[in-house]
Amino acid sequence: MEPVLGRRWQKVLYERQPFPDNYVDQRFLEELRKNVHARQYRYWAVVFQSGAVVQQLCSVCIFVVTWWYMEAGMLSPQGLFGAALVTSLLGYILFDAVDGGAGRRESGRTRWADLKSTLVFTAFTYGFSPVLKTLTESISTDTIYAMSSLMLLGHLIFFDYGANAAIVSSTLSLNMAIFASVCLASRLPRSLHAFVMVTFAMQIFALWPMLQKKLKAQTPQCYVGVTLLFALVALAGLATVSSVGAVLFTLLLLAISCLCPYCLIRLQLLKDNIHGPWDEAEIKEDLSRFLM
Amino acid sequence: MAPGSAQRTPAAGRNRPGMEARVPAGGAHSVCMVSDFFYPNMGGVESHVYQLSQCLIERGHKVLVVTHAYGRRRGIRYLTNGLKVYYLPLKVMYNQSTATTLFHSLPLLRCVFVRERVTIVHAHSSFSAMAHDALFHAKTMGLRTVFTDHSLFGFADVSSVLTNKLLTVSLCDTNHIICVSYTSKENTVLRAALDPRIVSVIPNAVDPTDFTPDPSRRDDNTITIVVVSRLVYRKGIDLLSGIIPELCQKYPELHFLVGGEGPKRIILEEVRERYQLHDRVRLLGALEHQDVRNVLVQGHIFLNTSLTEAFCMAIVEAASCGLQVVSTRVGGIPEVLPENLIILCEPSVKSLCDGLEKAIAQLRSGTLPSPETVHNKVKTFYTWRNVAERTEKVYDRVADEVVLPMDERLNRLMSHCGPVTGCIFALFAVLNFLFLAFLRWMTPDSVIDVAIDATGPKGAWTKQYFLGKKGRVKEELPSS
Repeated sequence: MEPVLGRRWQKVLYERQPFPDNYVDQRFLEELRKNVHARQYRYWAVVFQSGAVVQQLCSVCIFVVTWWYMEAGMLSPQGLFGAALVTSLLGYILFDAVDGGAGRRESGRTRWADLKSTLVFTAFTYGFSPVLKTLTESISTDTIYAMSSLMLLGHLIFFDYGANAAIVSSTLSLNMAIFASVCLASRLPRSLHAFVMVTFAMQIFALWPMLQKKLKAQTPQCYVGVTLLFALVALAGLATVSSVGAVLFTLLLLAISCLCPYCLIRLQLLKDNIHGPWDEAEIKEDLSRFLM
Repeated sequence: MAPGSAQRTPAAGRNRPGMEARVPAGGAHSVCMVSDFFYPNMGGVESHVYQLSQCLIERGHKVLVVTHAYGRRRGIRYLTNGLKVYYLPLKVMYNQSTATTLFHSLPLLRCVFVRERVTIVHAHSSFSAMAHDALFHAKTMGLRTVFTDHSLFGFADVSSVLTNKLLTVSLCDTNHIICVSYTSKENTVLRAALDPRIVSVIPNAVDPTDFTPDPSRRDDNTITIVVVSRLVYRKGIDLLSGIIPELCQKYPELHFLVGGEGPKRIILEEVRERYQLHDRVRLLGALEHQDVRNVLVQGHIFLNTSLTEAFCMAIVEAASCGLQVVSTRVGGIPEVLPENLIILCEPSVKSLCDGLEKAIAQLRSGTLPSPETVHNKVKTFYTWRNVAERTEKVYDRVADEVVLPMDERLNRLMSHCGPVTGCIFALFAVLNFLFLAFLRWMTPDSVIDVAIDATGPKGAWTKQYFLGKKGRVKEELPSS
């Protein structure tokens, strides 16, 4: 059978057409679409967004360095507690100042409630710090170190960097960080040390990211400055402990904030995503309303 | 098939005088259909294999089916008209698909291919591991290969990337591929990176004698919408759960009749509970194939909410029963029925409700064509005889082609499937060849008994035999 002139091929099955079954029309694959959902990224925008990862790495770094100083006895618990208290108060004021108190009015949370939860938390941590101190005495120090490293790694993996992924869980992430801090705190000399270490962990892993998020949304320039400053502080702290560590950490930060965005944009050019009528349709509506 | 199901054998199930003597124009082929999916399992692929085999037997070819053992159903069985089925003792892994090592099925399949003097291996369904194994072994043995793809696949996620790679390997040296719709052809060509000229489009068919209208069975004081599908996400049951309350509130005389079973049944039950629709929404549960028609004829409108579909037999069956079809516009569905028999909608509750309202308005004003007219029209569209005729052309074409010799096959694998996968599978092909050489040395082909043909030019399944079986001879109907 040869294609008959003057009769166009139709993409229908119910009609017998004068074409062979393996006939390929010009319209073959005309509904093919490529890279429908692909996003175009700009380099500096990706670098800016990578700040969140840098921040969190630095937080972990500062936390570990602080613990190191405490264990070596180079930092008194009173000193750390005082410094942390001052920065927390500053952060607290800043938290309301950046958006002019809009967030507070929206949530309807009073200052009294803030004070109450701070007091309750501090009192309980202080009361339980002797327990925290002796909790892991029967466990070998190597196990504690291994466990803390794993937990901090887990904290970094599950942290909410702003991506909409299934793996993200801020609750799990915070819990892992606190677990790591309790483990490390139990290796410090006295229960006061343990108390200060856990409160410090709360500040750097729970409160600091909240402030960061707000800064990022309200004043991006300020956020960049803070991130850079924070990274420099972390590096300086690490340099006093281990210079090799500091060099490696610098390389890691540079790779994450400069090299990875570059790779992402280069790889994005190779994207070849095919769409067509064979794709499974997506249900875009919210159907749960019918069951409410 | 079991005597009960022999009742609903296709048009080919009838005996025709002089059938045994008939030899097709292109010469008789000895075809081996291989698929994991076959009776007693029920579904689209299963009935396709069965009906196609029956019609090919009617055309004078020798056909046998190879599948894996289903429970106690193993060994060799004969179905209607001497269709010989090998139920091979292979382990089922998942969803009735066998586990594959690419090698372990060679001894069994070689034995079947040799003793049945198979010339063409026709594998069905990309989900069937056994089908891919059979293609692999058939190529090693130098037999011609044909593959029918029954499903659509995406490209975006990891599982489809992997399956598509395997399909590329499996199909790169297959002689010919058959798809069930043009959309399915585009999909398969892209997935397996094929030359579109070796891909034929041959649609599925339904047996129009099984799906006849019966307007007396419907209640014309109400309007009944029928849904027959498995109740799973891919069939868009979530959409249905939105449509039911929306339309039932608007039309007090509207009833829903839902046939099928599956994990999404629970949300339909919730909707029925929530809106107090127990008297208007009937959930029938799983249906036997022969009961489908009895459910269909009770309705006025057929609704299909599938999210993806290569061909969709359900809408053809419904239209053949004279129902007005409302369906989502996905996959190959727009190709299946002409515009005056189907209302196509976007896959959303709103669009489907609009489509159904349009159908209801037509029904009330009496502008819908009568079920008999629709049936007479639809029954000319898709017949298994036509499918078999077109498949036979593919066999004739394949029979003239040469099977790639080993060196060219290895070249093809390495050049076509990427450097890593290509080399790995080329190695497997060599191993398979050595394994075959070993098997040939152990039991030479000449030692293997040749089976007596049940079907084909020298078929031993005589006309007397099955004239003697009552109930197997059906009334001859005018063929389309």
